[in-house]
Amino acid sequence: KCPEPRGAWSVVGASGNVAARVWRRELGAPAPHRRLDTRLAHAHFAPARTLRLQDDDAYFTHTVFHPTQQQLLAATSSGDIRVFNLFTGAEENSYQVHESYIYHMQTSRDGLLLLASATTPWRPLSALWNMKEFELLFQLDAEEYVEFSKMSDDRIIGTKGETATIFDTRTGRELMTLTPSISNQYAKNRAVFNPTDELVLSDGVLWDVNTGKEIHKFDKLNQTHSGVFHPNGLEVISNTEVWDLRTFHLLRTVPTLDKSEVIFNPTCTALYAVFSDQDPEDRHQFDTSFRTLDPYDYSSIATIDVKRNIYALSVSRYGTQISVVENMGEYDQMQESCVKIYDVGRRRDHDDDADEDEEEDLAGSEND
Amino acid sequence: MSYHYVVTAQKQTSVTACVTGNFTSPTDLNLLVAKVSRLEMYLVTPEGLRPMKEVGLYGKVAKMKLFRPPYENKDLVFILTARYNAMILEWRTGANGDLEVVTRAHGNVSDRIGKPSENGILVVIDPQARVIGLRLYDGLFKIIPLEKDSAELKAASLRLEELNVYDVEFLHGCANPTLILIHQDTNGRHIKTREIGLRDKDFIKVSWKQDNVETEASILIPVPSPLGGAIVIGQESIVYHDGQSYVAVAPPQIKMTPINCYCRVDSRGLRYLAGDIAGRLFMLLLELHEKMDGTQAVKDLKVELLGDIPIPECMTYLDNGVVFIGSRLGDSALVRLSSSRDDTHQYVLPMETFTSLAPIVDMCVVDLERQGQSQLITCSGAFKMGSLRIIRNGIGIQEQASIDLPGIKGMWPLTLAPDSAHHDTLVLSFVGQTRVLALNGEEVEETEIKGFLSDRQTFFTGNVCYDQLIQVTDEGVRLAGRAGAGWCVTSQWRAPAALSVVACARSRLVCAAGPRLYLLLLHEAAIELKAEVCMEEEVACLDLGPGEEQALLGVGLWTDISVRVLRLPDMTPLHTEKLYGEIIPRSLIISVLEGVCYLLCALGDGSMFYFTVDQKTGVLSNKKKVTLGTQPTVLRTFRSLSTTNIFACSDRPTVIFSSNHKLVFSNVNLKEVTHMCSLNAQAYPDSLALATDSTVTIGTIDEIQKLHIRTVPLGETPRRIAYQEASQTFAVITMRVEKLEWGGGEAGRALDHELHNLLILDHHTFEVLHSHQLMSSELAMSLMSCRLGDDPAHYYAVGTAILNPEEPEPKKGRILLFHWSEGKLVQVAEKEIKGGCYSLVEFNGKLLAAINSTVRLFEWTSDKELRLECSHFNNIVALYLKAKGDFILVGDLMRSMSLLQYKQMEGSFEEIARDYSPNWMTAVEILDDDTFLGAENSFNLFVCQKDSAATTDEDRQQMGYAGQFHLGDMVNVMRAGSLVAPHHHADSAAPTHRPVLLATVHGAIFLVAQISQELFEFLQQVEERLSHCIKSVGRIPHAFWRSFNTDIKTEPAEGFVDGDLIETFLDLNRDVQHDIVKGLQIDEGSGMMRDAKIDDLIKIVEDLTRIH
Repeated sequence: KCPEPRGAWSVVGASGNVAARVWRRELGAPAPHRRLDTRLAHAHFAPARTLRLQDDDAYFTHTVFHPTQQQLLAATSSGDIRVFNLFTGAEENSYQVHESYIYHMQTSRDGLLLLASATTPWRPLSALWNMKEFELLFQLDAEEYVEFSKMSDDRIIGTKGETATIFDTRTGRELMTLTPSISNQYAKNRAVFNPTDELVLSDGVLWDVNTGKEIHKFDKLNQTHSGVFHPNGLEVISNTEVWDLRTFHLLRTVPTLDKSEVIFNPTCTALYAVFSDQDPEDRHQFDTSFRTLDPYDYSSIATIDVKRNIYALSVSRYGTQISVVENMGEYDQMQESCVKIYDVGRRRDHDDDADEDEEEDLAGSEND
Repeated sequence: MSYHYVVTAQKQTSVTACVTGNFTSPTDLNLLVAKVSRLEMYLVTPEGLRPMKEVGLYGKVAKMKLFRPPYENKDLVFILTARYNAMILEWRTGANGDLEVVTRAHGNVSDRIGKPSENGILVVIDPQARVIGLRLYDGLFKIIPLEKDSAELKAASLRLEELNVYDVEFLHGCANPTLILIHQDTNGRHIKTREIGLRDKDFIKVSWKQDNVETEASILIPVPSPLGGAIVIGQESIVYHDGQSYVAVAPPQIKMTPINCYCRVDSRGLRYLAGDIAGRLFMLLLELHEKMDGTQAVKDLKVELLGDIPIPECMTYLDNGVVFIGSRLGDSALVRLSSSRDDTHQYVLPMETFTSLAPIVDMCVVDLERQGQSQLITCSGAFKMGSLRIIRNGIGIQEQASIDLPGIKGMWPLTLAPDSAHHDTLVLSFVGQTRVLALNGEEVEETEIKGFLSDRQTFFTGNVCYDQLIQVTDEGVRLAGRAGAGWCVTSQWRAPAALSVVACARSRLVCAAGPRLYLLLLHEAAIELKAEVCMEEEVACLDLGPGEEQALLGVGLWTDISVRVLRLPDMTPLHTEKLYGEIIPRSLIISVLEGVCYLLCALGDGSMFYFTVDQKTGVLSNKKKVTLGTQPTVLRTFRSLSTTNIFACSDRPTVIFSSNHKLVFSNVNLKEVTHMCSLNAQAYPDSLALATDSTVTIGTIDEIQKLHIRTVPLGETPRRIAYQEASQTFAVITMRVEKLEWGGGEAGRALDHELHNLLILDHHTFEVLHSHQLMSSELAMSLMSCRLGDDPAHYYAVGTAILNPEEPEPKKGRILLFHWSEGKLVQVAEKEIKGGCYSLVEFNGKLLAAINSTVRLFEWTSDKELRLECSHFNNIVALYLKAKGDFILVGDLMRSMSLLQYKQMEGSFEEIARDYSPNWMTAVEILDDDTFLGAENSFNLFVCQKDSAATTDEDRQQMGYAGQFHLGDMVNVMRAGSLVAPHHHADSAAPTHRPVLLATVHGAIFLVAQISQELFEFLQQVEERLSHCIKSVGRIPHAFWRSFNTDIKTEPAEGFVDGDLIETFLDLNRDVQHDIVKGLQIDEGSGMMRDAKIDDLIKIVEDLTRIH
């Protein structure tokens, strides 16, 4: 009959309630309250702005916040990138960079470079662009997915099936190719650097970047995702499985992450999970809600239903806003397409008489 | 742009760590106390603690541990700051006899990535001083091997399988350094040992472990050899374990509240003291028995409740049953453990209290005495240590009596009654006359002393040796002896020329007539002219220093403007110091303060030079200059609480005293003083007599310290305070924790229950007049005094939240309006709201409230009801509100600050501008119409500005940054105002504007004031030079310390000048000051730039020190 754990500060009331926490903070209570405050913030999302395309032929596919300007870059199914002023909502520029569906973009931290990947009917294509005038710096033919290294932007890692290739950002020169001896055949392999750029995870295999050697092959427990590194450097999240990077033991299973893309906010205090799957006929399936989780213990914070298919989600530089590509209709027959910007943590504007239920409707529910 | 000066007005007072050891020499027993970012070294003496040295640190002390390497004969200290700067410090007496802090080694041990542990930083040092262990991030253990001559601290990372570690220690008596740790996994908490291989820098093996200890086990106490092993403290049980056997007890005394700190009492490790979060002290004893093989083993653990102490953060055992208890939630204390219980069944006897304001949760700035100088009333401390503190800058004189008497030129107390320890007479001198006042109890009446001249101005009078009185006038010296019940002149010395100045000790007297100095010895009924010298110039002022026959004599001369030091009895010249300039010295004092002999010389323009005096050679050094006033200043010494202090009588009366071997200048709450003397009369003990142009005041003086703090204990936690002048009351919201026993009997557990109250206090006596208790589970969160609409009554408004622990946010709350009149508290109105009311502000006769994510304005209707007028919804949680005119500044939980404008015509709010950075606010303040000050929870300050003239909406609606600065403490409250009356810095060389006071969790008070761009740029250069020439403790760069640092960005400080650094300029010696000033350009006032002189900078910095 041992007592239930209780902290030394429990004396000032339940810390589950923000009012009690603010009160404890004034007395100098130790810091873990910040995690609970972050959880509170990531339980509510209020729509701040809706961006639409003026022409109906294309639809939005992906977005990325400009790292230094008040701008949002939105990619479309016809291969162009629209630049929106986040403040006014006006479309300020448009660049035709690819010829077809752009499904991923990433900017360099200084806001000068942009990586974009597109599919064409005959081959995948990725390229590095100068963000000033959208001049092509170089193409990475046949790379399905590319992203920058983590500590700095000096390297690019590309994925082509089971093979990962590291390129020099300045020259486009190929630095290293990592092909697993036995492929795991993940449907959506995406090669990634770890937070210190010393390791690469690709096709379920962990590589040492210095030697180019395989370190470990994680057990394959799903068909889709090879996995991403937790920014804390200690864990690998591979679909629902969380692996200990030091022991390669399975730390936990998080069912809510099933078939989801995992996106961390910049302070690594919240994790967004967006469902995306490819069905056997190689067609994408989309969910109409996204989830937020606490990256400390993977507990769920909230599920936010937007009632439209979520094609992509991106987080602003400081994590105070997110943009969600919300589309209605079929893949090849889109009825409606928009990008919605949400303020993180803010409840939806409401009148005093507004029905509480309506509010819950959008804000999602706690800890489901 | 706007430019700010930020400076500490009251240093942090909360104690975060303490250790006892031999730091300053192998034989000194020292106590080292860490107060957030300051280290205070004390010497433990039979009389108590003696402060030795205080140093500041460019970082917050996260952990402080002592150790002694085998090659050292005294202890060293290892410190790790919150930003992972590690250092090893030694306290060493330098060549000049000053104690200095030497950084033996330093380094930063942070990782770029890593998961900072939620259980905080843990630091342990191997008992044999082979290695330091650090647990900073989950899953990693860092070690710093201790090598003798390495000046760099480099940490190696070891992989630690245990992720969730609660405590870690090194075991004693192990061949290899061996850790013991408490960790938690899904099955519960366990203890485990791990041996470290220093060569390979890795864990070698697990010596032993014990699974499933108590689920709340959180403290490990390693037991010294030969016993070894460790004690594990849980919430209900205490276990001793040494790998082979264990002993467990479950003492009923400890289960009410968790134990949170401990210290070892004896070196064998059989006795420990432990403190719990309710502020109770326990003794933990290991009982031994002899095993078969003759070795000793632990047989039993005994726990005894000793008594009440401050709620401890840390504690350390000094010696002889004396323990230092450091607290973060109120005053720290020195207590003695007695061998027997006292009347209240306590073994703990309080010895000394160390005032702490921490945590300051709220405050108000009021001018209760209506003297133009504000006081601060803070809500300080928590739980049983909750209190109100009344803080005033400078030293207060409490007037006891006053007499209207214009034209006083001098004052002296006398004792006429035989064998009396008290003064009974006050002698006042005027131009051409002398008057004597007899003090009979509280009555004052004019009298005469026979033998005294009453038609001359007295220059000095006093009780001297052989029970005689002396009177010095311009014509000479008269000595009077007892004659029956009265007095008669027994001896006289006629001066050859008219005397002008005089200094007198018990048995000797030096006086001057023109350039001639006379030394007179006083005998029984006789005066002997012992020596006579002639100076180069006329004597302007003089004073006798300490010492008898060979005393030093300080003399200030006219014309050549110099100070001379001479030695009695021959008045041999020892030293000449030219003061330069044209202002004549007017008053001089030689005095020993805290063991240091000073010579102070005040000039005719209100400035003063001071020097340290070598008592052997008479040489003056460390020349410094301060400005005390604008008129001729008279210096007098006086004693208060057995220390000698100096009173500078001028248009800005100042008390000069020594603190930490530094002279401190503290203003006095009087407008002007022309003369003063100590007075210790029967009816007026330990008092001062102070003369102005028109009156004599007798008063008592506060304890001598720069900030005067008075405590009103509440015994419960104060949360908010408001002042209502109309009803002459303060209102305070407090919280009290009550234990609700449930389950009953021994096995029952206590449930903490909070009760919130509204207290009404008298504004003079601070007596609680009324207490109103709120509903249970109702949290009082905000409070203000207001006048609403046309209603002439003044109300106290209280905002509450009704709390359900299961909900992430309050769903309900109330706003209550109370009226206090004729000793009754009446609830006038009650408004239910949908959330918690975090803040209340009076806004154009309406009530403005921050309720959860909304800002709402309520009107006061003629039916005396609160009616919602309009709302604004653009926050996560609107925590803080400030209003100015039609503008409202809102501080959000996470979304920084925003500015709203109330549109009177439309009856609505409009968001004018916002800072879009994610700052987690802890306080906000409006500096001016366009400039806003914010504090956030990574201990930074920042200034935002709105740009109304910007051309685009985007630029107008986005606040720009005009400053950012790392303060190093969490600000809980900001209030416009200052502790110093404006007239004190009217003609400043460094004008400042719109001061704001900030109060913090750690009990500090900071001042932020606006300065001009020119002054800012000048001070920035000074700051830059100072940061290069002052070697910081632990070698942490000043720029690193002050850089704005949150979990998303670290950027250099800008827009703020660090006043704490600037003001260290005054402590530097002349050579260093010279180096700093060299090449600095200063505006002459006409726009012409010229090279700055040391005195220019001293004047500027001194004026800056006067604003706080």
